[in-house]
Amino acid sequence: MDIKALKDRLFESAKKEGFESCEIYYQSGSSFTVSIYKGNIEKYQSSENGGFCFRGLYKGNMGYYFSEASDIDADKAVKSAKENAEVITIKDKEFIYEGDKGYPKVNVYNAALEDMTAEQKIQIALNIEKYAKEYDSRITVNKSMVASGDSYVYICNTEGLEVSEKGNHILAYAEVMAKDGEDTREKGEIWIGTDIDKLNTREIAERACKKALSALGAKSIKGGALRVAIENETFADIMNCFVNSFIAEDVQKGFSLLKDKRGTQIASDIVTITDDPLMEGGYATTAFDSEGVASRKKTVVEKGILKTYLYNLKSANVDGVKSTGNGFKGSFRTAVSTLPTNFFIEKGDKTREDAISGIEYGVYINDVMGLHSGANSISGDFSLAAEGLLIENGKLTRPVDQITIAGNFYEVLKNIDTVCTDLKFNSSAIGSPTVVISSIEVSGE
Amino acid sequence: MINEKTVHDVLAAAVSTGAEFAELFAENNSKNNISITNGIVERANSGTDRGCGIRIINKERVIYVYTNNMTYDNLIKIAKEGAAAIKGEAQHSITVFNRLEGISAHPVVIMPNTVEKKRIVDFLMRGHSTAMAYDSLITQTGLSYLDSVQDVLIANTEGLWAEDKRVRTRISVSAVASNENEKQTGYFGPGALQGFEFCENTNIEAIANEAARCAVTMLKADNCPSGKMPVVMDNGFGGVIFHEACGHGLEAAAISKKASVFTDKIGEKIASEKVTAIDDGTIPNKWGSINIDDEGTPGRKNVLIEKGVLKTYMTDRYNGSIIGMAPTGNSRRESYKIIPVSRMTNTYIAAGTDKKEDIIADTEYGLYAKYMGGGSVNPASGDFNFAVSEAYIIRNGKICEPVRGATLIGKGSVVLKNIDRVSDNLALAEGMCGASSGSIPVCVGQPMLRVQNITVGGRG
Repeated sequence: MDIKALKDRLFESAKKEGFESCEIYYQSGSSFTVSIYKGNIEKYQSSENGGFCFRGLYKGNMGYYFSEASDIDADKAVKSAKENAEVITIKDKEFIYEGDKGYPKVNVYNAALEDMTAEQKIQIALNIEKYAKEYDSRITVNKSMVASGDSYVYICNTEGLEVSEKGNHILAYAEVMAKDGEDTREKGEIWIGTDIDKLNTREIAERACKKALSALGAKSIKGGALRVAIENETFADIMNCFVNSFIAEDVQKGFSLLKDKRGTQIASDIVTITDDPLMEGGYATTAFDSEGVASRKKTVVEKGILKTYLYNLKSANVDGVKSTGNGFKGSFRTAVSTLPTNFFIEKGDKTREDAISGIEYGVYINDVMGLHSGANSISGDFSLAAEGLLIENGKLTRPVDQITIAGNFYEVLKNIDTVCTDLKFNSSAIGSPTVVISSIEVSGE
Repeated sequence: MINEKTVHDVLAAAVSTGAEFAELFAENNSKNNISITNGIVERANSGTDRGCGIRIINKERVIYVYTNNMTYDNLIKIAKEGAAAIKGEAQHSITVFNRLEGISAHPVVIMPNTVEKKRIVDFLMRGHSTAMAYDSLITQTGLSYLDSVQDVLIANTEGLWAEDKRVRTRISVSAVASNENEKQTGYFGPGALQGFEFCENTNIEAIANEAARCAVTMLKADNCPSGKMPVVMDNGFGGVIFHEACGHGLEAAAISKKASVFTDKIGEKIASEKVTAIDDGTIPNKWGSINIDDEGTPGRKNVLIEKGVLKTYMTDRYNGSIIGMAPTGNSRRESYKIIPVSRMTNTYIAAGTDKKEDIIADTEYGLYAKYMGGGSVNPASGDFNFAVSEAYIIRNGKICEPVRGATLIGKGSVVLKNIDRVSDNLALAEGMCGASSGSIPVCVGQPMLRVQNITVGGRG
């Protein structure tokens, strides 16, 4: 796609149609995926893809239009954006940003990754399957997969902004099934990064196997209010459902219970939450957001006190503060909203073993299901099917399933009494160490 | 979209190294969406997705390449790249395409691109005003509209040439009720395989009132008790239980890997005699209906379970061939970016003969789940979980106080056998189903039914 020629056509047409200012956001990328099943390539996929979003201010309202086709009639695209602008009734001021003076340097592109051949990637997937199969006779490997991709973002507007960023990553995944008689357990392990040297195929395979095997023979327990340790990645998944409440747009619209809570205690004083787009090796690391605002690290919650919401230019203007650089789009298709970057609970001082040894009777939760339905992002209420291990006298004694854990996220934040050292990120760039909750409602038999 | 010569040459390049089969799928998908929050039009967006994918199958190997650079040279280039993953000699070539005709079973009256945006906004605003007026506890509303017109071309090396136009329209209405400490949401999202006439025929006031009523009821409700108990699930979206707990396990993609509890069970009794379950892609203008699936197979009505006995799986070409079954018209995909696999269309438990009133009157103690939320399932174990968005306690055969925060968990294979009452009030409801080939429109459905003993998770 000759994006600069398209930009010129769109900007010229926008001027004629009466847009005050406008912008093009272009995104392209290519990807490669291979998955292995029983030693054979089951799926082999490659793609190249790109698209753009045109947006502009017309009588103060922002109108949008997106397309994957570059040979589009620029006049038609601009007219369509104008029609969209005309029905907008929101009064908050929208911005086409002139850009910041300087942008941080981030390391999101690894040339060595670009040089990897398809054969090398296939070998990684084969190795993962081999290691998983060798690990235990009760294991069958449902899928081992390697995916790599590169992406390019370019933003240019009539106010002087012109930025671009190129990135790449590789992902490896193992999905295994442990079978013992009629009892089957399916678990997966995923690794994402840009540094190919850190990809350890044996570790990915073994982690998936351990997860599945440790669940064999699981049964329910008698319910009640119990002390519960929630494993790092699982707590990150739960936190992911409630991250919206930290977003200023949601707060301003009344969709967040954190409204009017800035400067107050919203979590236990051992909880510090950071949003860090500059983090080395983070899945959401970037030098600027989708509005062209330079990235910076923010402490969102400091020792339990809410310090800031996450802002884009529009919501920051409403509250009279500076954008935190969180004005992101889901893809070029969507309008700018607000998203966290690498968003995580800072690690604490106890090892996981120490934390468990301090629990007389409770559950160690290492998987939850039903997050998209059993968690209410507004009220904070959740009720989730869960699996894990029983803790008796400070020791993990047997696997547990067919239980639910139910509670309220805001209460849980206040009831965290231990934060471990094992910070881990999930694939949505949300991170957490293993945490212990003093009491949570568990229902079982 | 792409001319016949290009398609021919691309397919020839795709099988030039000996693959058994190649298929081209091209689409142009124009979309509009508008969203209104608290009566303010916040977003309006439109645009077009356009691209093409080439799938090459050789024995159990699948190669997929896609692009949105649809020039002749680029399509030939990516077809050759895909073909390079197979080493062999060309086996065959296509000489002539057979055009699939007369497949338009779902008429569209008002094409979305002929509708003025203002008219859509006015329609949605009626829902906002109604919900706000329902009760002073209603503090927020969210309404949205979306349409899509997807034109597809599917051609393959067996000579298939199929073109289809899929026009879909959907709205969503949510109402939030709040007091000092908390918020509860009521939500409905109806849609159809139709144009703007869907909105004209939809009573948005009734939907907004029901969403508001649901939110207010749940705000005033106490926490749901936990434990094992009988659960009466009402019709419509209650069918999500079958969709999640059983439907996914009947998809050939799970069966071909023996990753479903229903593997090798055709002809066996897997459910209570009260249960007949159907997947029907042919219901006129239904949200989950299709003219043809994404491999060009016409939509069909398939009886999956008849009086408790498993009759068939839902198949796609690839997974169907592994298990020795012909395509059933269930191969679906979100877009050209994802390989199609066996998926559901409109899937429901058929009407029974019990009466709604009798089922409640016959239940001494249990949970009445009026509206279900979403859920998910692990196909290997059949373990499922569902949120209940509006629930009541049944005591002495009567529906009593509302309760909130209920989750149902269990195993699909067990629940199917424990269905002991099925009423005659079948209804379907719309949803988006997410799985390996992306997010696709489906309907779930059932009449009111009762399941003996499900684990209910709650905080009370």
